[in-house]
Amino acid sequence: MFKNFPLIVKNCWRNRRRTTLTILSIGASLCLLGILMAVYQAFYLSDGAPEQALRLVTRNKVGLAATMPQAYEPKIKALPGVHEVMVANWYGGTYIDDKPEHQFARFATEADKLFTIRPEMKLSDEEKAAFLHDRRGCIIGKELADKLKLKDGDRMTLIGDIYPGNLDFTVRGVYDAPIDNGVFYFDKAYIEEGLPDRRKGNVGIFYVLANTADDVPRIEKAVDAMFANSPQETKTETESAFALSFAAFLGNVKGFLMVVSAAVTFTILLVSANTIAMSVRERIREIGVLKVLGFTNAMVLGIILGEAILISAAGGVIGVFLADLLAAGLRHGPDYMEQLHTLHITTPVAFLCVAVAAFIGLVSAYIPAFQASRIPILSALRNTD
Amino acid sequence: MSETKLSESSEVVIRTNKLTKEFIRDEFHVIALKDVNIEIHRGEFVALMGPSGSGKSTLLHLIAAMDKSTGGEIEVLGENLNRLSDTQIAHWRNVHVGFVFQQFNLIPVLTALENVELPLKLTNLKKAERLEHATTALKLVGLGDRLGHFPRQLSGGQEQRVAIARAIVTDPQLILADEPTGNLDAQSADDVLTMLSRLNKEYSKTVVMVTHDPHAAKFATRVRHLEKGELLPEGVTTTA
Ligand SMILES: Nc1ncnc2c1ncn2[C@@H]1O[C@H](COP(=O)(O)OP(=O)(O)O)[C@@H](O)[C@H]1O
Ligand SMILES: [Mg+2]
Repeated sequence: MFKNFPLIVKNCWRNRRRTTLTILSIGASLCLLGILMAVYQAFYLSDGAPEQALRLVTRNKVGLAATMPQAYEPKIKALPGVHEVMVANWYGGTYIDDKPEHQFARFATEADKLFTIRPEMKLSDEEKAAFLHDRRGCIIGKELADKLKLKDGDRMTLIGDIYPGNLDFTVRGVYDAPIDNGVFYFDKAYIEEGLPDRRKGNVGIFYVLANTADDVPRIEKAVDAMFANSPQETKTETESAFALSFAAFLGNVKGFLMVVSAAVTFTILLVSANTIAMSVRERIREIGVLKVLGFTNAMVLGIILGEAILISAAGGVIGVFLADLLAAGLRHGPDYMEQLHTLHITTPVAFLCVAVAAFIGLVSAYIPAFQASRIPILSALRNTD
Repeated sequence: MSETKLSESSEVVIRTNKLTKEFIRDEFHVIALKDVNIEIHRGEFVALMGPSGSGKSTLLHLIAAMDKSTGGEIEVLGENLNRLSDTQIAHWRNVHVGFVFQQFNLIPVLTALENVELPLKLTNLKKAERLEHATTALKLVGLGDRLGHFPRQLSGGQEQRVAIARAIVTDPQLILADEPTGNLDAQSADDVLTMLSRLNKEYSKTVVMVTHDPHAAKFATRVRHLEKGELLPEGVTTTA
């Protein structure tokens, strides 16, 4: 069948404009499909950073806005397999104004545990020490520091909302990390000192660090089981799953990805089917000639299908390249879509994309190709287009 | 390729017995061929003549197994064509039959050389051998200097010669031509007819050519006439 490859290629190139347009539209659709597959992979299939695999997040079952008692902390810590537990509270507030560039995640945490829980954060020992010694100090991710043009020693003020009063900070460190590189951390003791007693000891999130990855699933169940039927039930999940549920407020991401992928696939199917049907119709007579020369129905079918597969696969390759460019752009997406920052068209996704394209070419062309290959010789030869 | 005159004249290449072809479309029944009995021997160059619609092409198509008869028998090169499967017929035609059309029917996206190479793709020949054979065939029809030309870059006469090269490249015993000069000027027509005649004389190919041009028929060694689907007795001509 490879003997016919040159003929297949030449047939594809017969109507250059049509073939080019087809390849480009398949490429554009495949680009979208590639991105969707990459997003899907990043959100649902990747293991996240290795550090992330050891971290769990416990929150109130009711939702992210509800809190849990501080008293849970030692109980969680006592569970087998738990290495450390850290409190983190979402601090709303405003930095300067409401402009988008001034929006970033702010967490009040237990400063002394932060570097145990997030060992992937890179900053100098001096910076760490400075942060731990200054209750009004903060550390910020490099991405954020660059954006806000802040450096060690700079001062900044957060205007309170959930928590009353303004907070003045000194930047004590700028950390670099593969994930969550835009977060602002400070010691929760700083806000608690000004809080009335009834508001002290309320925890938004517990970060739980497991000893080994094998402990993770057990801890996940054990924490929630421990607080089941209590006034504040919990929901514990891995950090990457938690990040997902955070992104999920956008809607059913998974379902959305599926629906769009299906629509894209269907579009390519129609585009490809249309092109092949048109190109076959113009060539019925030549098919008759091939058969007179001794080509069988099956060979003719193979030639036409080969053409469809070649065109679609070419579209697939272009689509993968476009998707790769697009992914590079999306890596600078919004912070709450953490996974996007590591968005890549991986080799398996690239291959899958091209394979999907080729398969769609095959499926879409099958009926017109089959019919054309079955036209009796004389009917085919009589055909004048 | 060359055979002795004796075996050429003795061996029957095409034999039909009450060969009939009826086309049925809706209410209309057209009897295109009726009880045709013909024997064509190896090394003959037979011209099939007759008015338009007399069944010449239909007979040629049946000989080439491009269509099935609706009655009678047909045996070509010892094969009962009614008994072969589609795949067997395709292979049989590739090996034994070269067909030349009135409209040349070259593949426009392929060069002369590639067009001629096409039937060889169905053989076990290697690429280099295929190209060598195709080049030889094109040289034989006087187009050794047009190998890389596309059909649209050739004159009608040249296109038809490429088509002849394509028909003979697999070295088939039988060459069938349906009005091969019908679309050509007088000079090109003579070139093509001379070529068919050479293939018949020098390479002992059996040639069956449909034509309604008496001048073309002169190149044949034998002429048979058809009228309204019936084969007229040897020597009897139609008025048309
Ligand atoms: N596919 C077909 N369907 C119906 N009638 C046909 C078909 N092919 C040929 N015929 C009829 O059969 C007769 C013989 O046709 P043909 O062999 O092409 O004639 P010729 O080649 O001698 O001009 C004509 O009457 C023609 O109309
Ligand atoms: Mg005819």
